[in-house]
Amino acid sequence: MATTTFQQALAWLRATRVWKSIFRRGPARTNRTRSLAVFGNLFLHLAPVKVREQSLRVRATYYLGSFSFFLFALLTATGILLMLYYHPAVPRAYLDMKDLRFVVSNGVFLRNLHRLAAHLMVIAVFWHMFHVFYRGGYRPPHEFNWVVGVVLLLLTLFLSYTGYLLPWDQLAFWAVTVGTNIISAEPLLGHRIRFLLLGGNVVGENALLRFYVLHCVILPLAAGILIAIHFWRIQKDGGLTVQENPERKDHE
Amino acid sequence: MNEGTKYEAGIASDAQKNPVRVVFVSKKTSAKVKGDLGRQLMSYPNLILREVVAFQVVTIVLVVLALFWDAPLEQLANPLLTPNPAKAPWYFLGLQELLHYFPPIVAGIIIPGLVVLALVVVPYFNVNIRGEPLWATNSRRRFLIFVLLFTGALAFLGFFEAWTVLVPTLAVGALILIFYFIPQEGPKSVKSLRERPVSWWVMTWFLAVSLVLTVVGTFFRGPGWSWVWPWR
Amino acid sequence: MSELDAASTAGLQAASQVEGEIDRRDFLNEIAATALGIAGLGAMVVTYRYLSPNALFEPSMSFRAGNPDLYPVNSVSYLQDQQVYIVRTSEGFYAVSAVCTHLGCITQWKPESGRIACPCHGSKFQSDGTKVEGPAPRSLPHFAIVLTADGELKVDKMETINLKQVLKV
Repeated sequence: MATTTFQQALAWLRATRVWKSIFRRGPARTNRTRSLAVFGNLFLHLAPVKVREQSLRVRATYYLGSFSFFLFALLTATGILLMLYYHPAVPRAYLDMKDLRFVVSNGVFLRNLHRLAAHLMVIAVFWHMFHVFYRGGYRPPHEFNWVVGVVLLLLTLFLSYTGYLLPWDQLAFWAVTVGTNIISAEPLLGHRIRFLLLGGNVVGENALLRFYVLHCVILPLAAGILIAIHFWRIQKDGGLTVQENPERKDHE
Repeated sequence: MNEGTKYEAGIASDAQKNPVRVVFVSKKTSAKVKGDLGRQLMSYPNLILREVVAFQVVTIVLVVLALFWDAPLEQLANPLLTPNPAKAPWYFLGLQELLHYFPPIVAGIIIPGLVVLALVVVPYFNVNIRGEPLWATNSRRRFLIFVLLFTGALAFLGFFEAWTVLVPTLAVGALILIFYFIPQEGPKSVKSLRERPVSWWVMTWFLAVSLVLTVVGTFFRGPGWSWVWPWR
Repeated sequence: MSELDAASTAGLQAASQVEGEIDRRDFLNEIAATALGIAGLGAMVVTYRYLSPNALFEPSMSFRAGNPDLYPVNSVSYLQDQQVYIVRTSEGFYAVSAVCTHLGCITQWKPESGRIACPCHGSKFQSDGTKVEGPAPRSLPHFAIVLTADGELKVDKMETINLKQVLKV
């Protein structure tokens, strides 16, 4: 069969010892190597080796779960980049936001992308939840995965909320003031929780630092772990919920 | 099948002629033939490549939007000067609207707490798993319970003058009642709505109230949380 | 051989069935679990203490408000840095918190209407902090206010006092 120079070069590369020591399976052209592409990969093996054809259709899930995950990935990438120019101190944080806008190359773009993805992610996870509910994706054996999903929803909201404070402008400051005052309305531990969250009695520099650590370290780690569990449960419980077709008998 | 006959187990002497293990199929269960779930395809390339393409589409759309839509930045935070109105991020505006009617402990702690609890327990209730249509069984009794709850809710909301919650509740409740009264036949869309289980209606009510509260909180509330018409 | 096996099996069974007796494995397991539990609880307490700051770099909660003569009778003076109203009536002084009891927004004194108004959700209070209208659940709290030995007013925001208490000067 006629091969291009590129294909020949690729084939040569694949035959080298170095390549074979890293990539074990060979080109994914047989079902065995296609299985290995998923099964033998640390990250991809969260996904099942085979999927139901129905679940691939856009109408089945609108790819809302995937959409949420993509946004999370974008937020992590843009977030890390933004962190490099941000000092979580008062009032330096606000000045850094100005820097990002006027001084840093593509700072405006990165911040816009981060904020846009953040708002969209809140919409996406809510929409995903409603859609999973309406198509009955919470039914056994997926009950626990639904609970993991609800926790992920709360984490998303909390991530968005902690991020909201970081620009340290009027919008941020007062939104967080109102929110933490609501927490203190909780009768038993409200004031104590508020004190721990703010690292003090007022929304000040301690609060900014705590929200920063929550937003950049604690919550993303928690979310990442739960996302992995969320995918893993789908794989282990037999794939996404699909509609039964009662007319046809199961040929398998 | 003779339903009155009682079946007894026993082990026949000739194990070759009769099965040793016997399964009882009682009146309440039936052997269910699992419907066809469709064929399976290899994840690589079918799922993985679709996801990669989807990711690229999402990235491109977001990048284009981010090039034109600027994130806001107001003045430096001033603890001594409260802006008017002081609004939470949009996904909490529904809650802030609720705060307008109920004390902070109710609107801020109890109601969100109950919402989260209700969401978490959804898959553990058989009524949600079975998903029978709302008015299919015990319709008379259910109707009475529903009317009781509905009028109770409307009275409660009316007492607290929580109009923005009352209106969507009224709308969804009225829709539920309509489906109790109209006959079985009808166009396909009507029929499918009539088939909806109670969990569907509860979630739809929650969605309707949340949407209305959030939209009102975003566009219809101005200084002092007073009502404003957004086009003025 | 089989007698030994039978005896040891019987012994194991006996330990689990006799009241008040426990075999070595379960005992050691319970000791270990208890120790881990205590360590875990201890870790949580220590972490909680670590997270609660002991030193706060916030403005002091207790401050001096100057000589009483600075404040005319029947006046409301807003101290912006401390977010406190010094209210002087014919009876004496109140130190009224300017933080709205609803959700923590800073209220404003409106002399034309004689009301303290909150911009966030429209709560209104009288000059002594009594709630008049709005979603705020309570009246504005009063802080402890005393006259120091050298004749100055001193307010302590950490201490709230009865709304009827007034400082007579």
